[in-house]
Amino acid sequence: MAEPVLEIDRLSKRYGSVLALDEVSFELGAGELFGFVGPNGAGKTSTMRIVLGVLAADSGAVRWRGQPISFATRRRIGYMPEERGLYPSMGVTEQLVYLAELHGMRAPAAHAAAAHWLERLGLGDRGGEQLQKLSQGNQQRVQLAAALLYSPDLLVLDEPFSGLDPVAVDVMSAVLREQADAGISVLFSSHQLDLVEQLCDRVGIISAGRMLAVGSVAELRAGSAPRYWVDAPDAPAGWVEWVPGATLIRQEDSRVLVELAAPAGDQSLLQVALTTGPVHEFRRDLPSLTDLFRSVVAEEPGPSGATAQRDIEEAAS
Amino acid sequence: MSNAAPDSSGLSPRRAVYLIARREFATRIRGKVFVIGTVVAVALLALYAVLQLAVIDRINTTTTFKVGFSGPATALAQPLEAASPSLGFKVHVSDIATEARGRSEVRAGSLDALVEGTPGAPQVVVKTGIDPTLQAALVSLAKQHVLSTDLSAAGLSPATVEGQINAVALGVDTLQPATAAQLQGPIIGFVMAFALYIFIGIYGGVIGQGVVAEKASRVVEILLSTVRPGQLLLGKVIGIGLVGLLQLGIIALCGLLFTVPTGVLALPGAAIGAVLIGVMWFALGFILYALMLAATASLVSRVEEVSSATVPVTMLMVVTWLLAYVVAIPAIDAVTGGGAASHGLATLTTVLSLIPPFTPVLMSIRMAAGGVPLWQGLLALVLVLASIGGVTWLGARIYANSVLRFGARIRILDALRR
Repeated sequence: MAEPVLEIDRLSKRYGSVLALDEVSFELGAGELFGFVGPNGAGKTSTMRIVLGVLAADSGAVRWRGQPISFATRRRIGYMPEERGLYPSMGVTEQLVYLAELHGMRAPAAHAAAAHWLERLGLGDRGGEQLQKLSQGNQQRVQLAAALLYSPDLLVLDEPFSGLDPVAVDVMSAVLREQADAGISVLFSSHQLDLVEQLCDRVGIISAGRMLAVGSVAELRAGSAPRYWVDAPDAPAGWVEWVPGATLIRQEDSRVLVELAAPAGDQSLLQVALTTGPVHEFRRDLPSLTDLFRSVVAEEPGPSGATAQRDIEEAAS
Repeated sequence: MSNAAPDSSGLSPRRAVYLIARREFATRIRGKVFVIGTVVAVALLALYAVLQLAVIDRINTTTTFKVGFSGPATALAQPLEAASPSLGFKVHVSDIATEARGRSEVRAGSLDALVEGTPGAPQVVVKTGIDPTLQAALVSLAKQHVLSTDLSAAGLSPATVEGQINAVALGVDTLQPATAAQLQGPIIGFVMAFALYIFIGIYGGVIGQGVVAEKASRVVEILLSTVRPGQLLLGKVIGIGLVGLLQLGIIALCGLLFTVPTGVLALPGAAIGAVLIGVMWFALGFILYALMLAATASLVSRVEEVSSATVPVTMLMVVTWLLAYVVAIPAIDAVTGGGAASHGLATLTTVLSLIPPFTPVLMSIRMAAGGVPLWQGLLALVLVLASIGGVTWLGARIYANSVLRFGARIRILDALRR
């Protein structure tokens, strides 16, 4: 990771009897796309709100370039809240200009920025309309424009992909990538794990207020036991047990998914398979972020396990 | 496009409040409350002025009586004509040759009355009935005629006696002269206090709804990431307050334009001071109540719940109004009426008018009536300003703590806790 620009340092937050955040820590580098994943109620939104200063943490700190984040630095953050919201009956350009001015821009620059982003997001001719006259997806684009308008140093986007059609998802992905490439750090949360896997440099998995894993998808994979698909049609049932350290995860017809205790065990797995007859397939199964997420969250004891499971299924469907 | 990086220090608190107030102003001035409210109010005023004009016209139109005289009673014709301007009617007198002709003219309507008989005992012939003013005038003239005749008979000059009678005057020694301000003052204070009450009812409601609408549309989360809750609150109150003030100004101006030429309401110069003081209390009262309304409104998430959430504040307003009616106005009425208010009532009024939530209404009534010691006025001003500061702080805290909590209504104590 590049040198960290945003440091989230042991944030804790309690709502009554519920511990919403339990010493959550992670860092963001300059120009890094960071995906924040976790079940509903895991603490993603609370973390983001604390970064933005709309919510106060009970303890812990947020630092921007080494300094505790201040009200002035927060104005340099582009924010898209989980609950979308702009003024429904106000004109699109009018409210973008208003928001840009509230972030310290002067009127001419604000107008130019609003026009630029509406054009870039395919809404060039809709600036004069009331927001509520736009479709849901287009309103979401305006919301993104509102976050990008004042060329922020950091983007904090809560579920930017929810409710978007595939075309809009592509536009959104491209814009986020472009921003990161321009050196802007992007922190976003999502339930669309395949998208996060594709797009993000690094990922943080949070559940029940605790950060369970942080790193690139490759790093997260390195921490998980290797799995192989083996298709040995003539092998007798239970042959996998002959291999030391191997566990049968799943069987589909003659194919088996095997998890090995040690990465070096793959050679003995292949040798044993070959002794049973022909081997039609021998393939490393790279766990997707969804698999990693499932295994990390499942390890987590406590009542959130069941919710987490339901959540993954919701996200996958 | 190269996005010109904005000056990161470019948003002073004052500019933040200005931007928020400007948006509220620009939005509300196109809103229903403003446009329809102003049009309806001005139309009502115009209607009122027209009605008044019609009524006054009827009162002011001086009636002309056509009165015919016949026989010795003709001696009364000249005095009647001379006295008529001071009696508020015009008279057109004519000599009628014969009684019969006179009666037929009265029957035909070309004469209102025919006076016959002697000047000391006139006989009046009318068609349906005699106008009371005309009757009184004729009776008085006949009496005068009898008196003059008798005086002459007794050897006195009627003109000398009349002069002596007219010289009699009543000497009035006023111990507490009422100034124009004192007479107009209570009315102006009362009108300003009532206007404040209505104004808070309407525009306080607009503010409460605006707060909840921002909460309901969730735009408040974006706003609070760049401005502080107190700035948002203040900007809203100022922006919406100015719209209301503009509306009130338009209505007041139209009211003056309609009424001054018709003479329905005259605004003496002495009353302008009372109006200015009233405007000051009006502005302060509005800010104080609007802040309380905004803070309490932020406790709920739906526009339909605003009125129930703001009940404590509206109740306070009603209590103020009741106190004005029951305590302050009777106390002031007693004083301007020449008497003295009971000691208890006067003290109660003074004390209540120094309690900030009551001050704007009660002080504007008291100060308009005059006679408020300077120290009391200043103390009231300081207390109200301090409470505005306090309510801004407290309101911002309630607002900040509840504006991001959606769903069920939040208890005020929970909102004050961090």
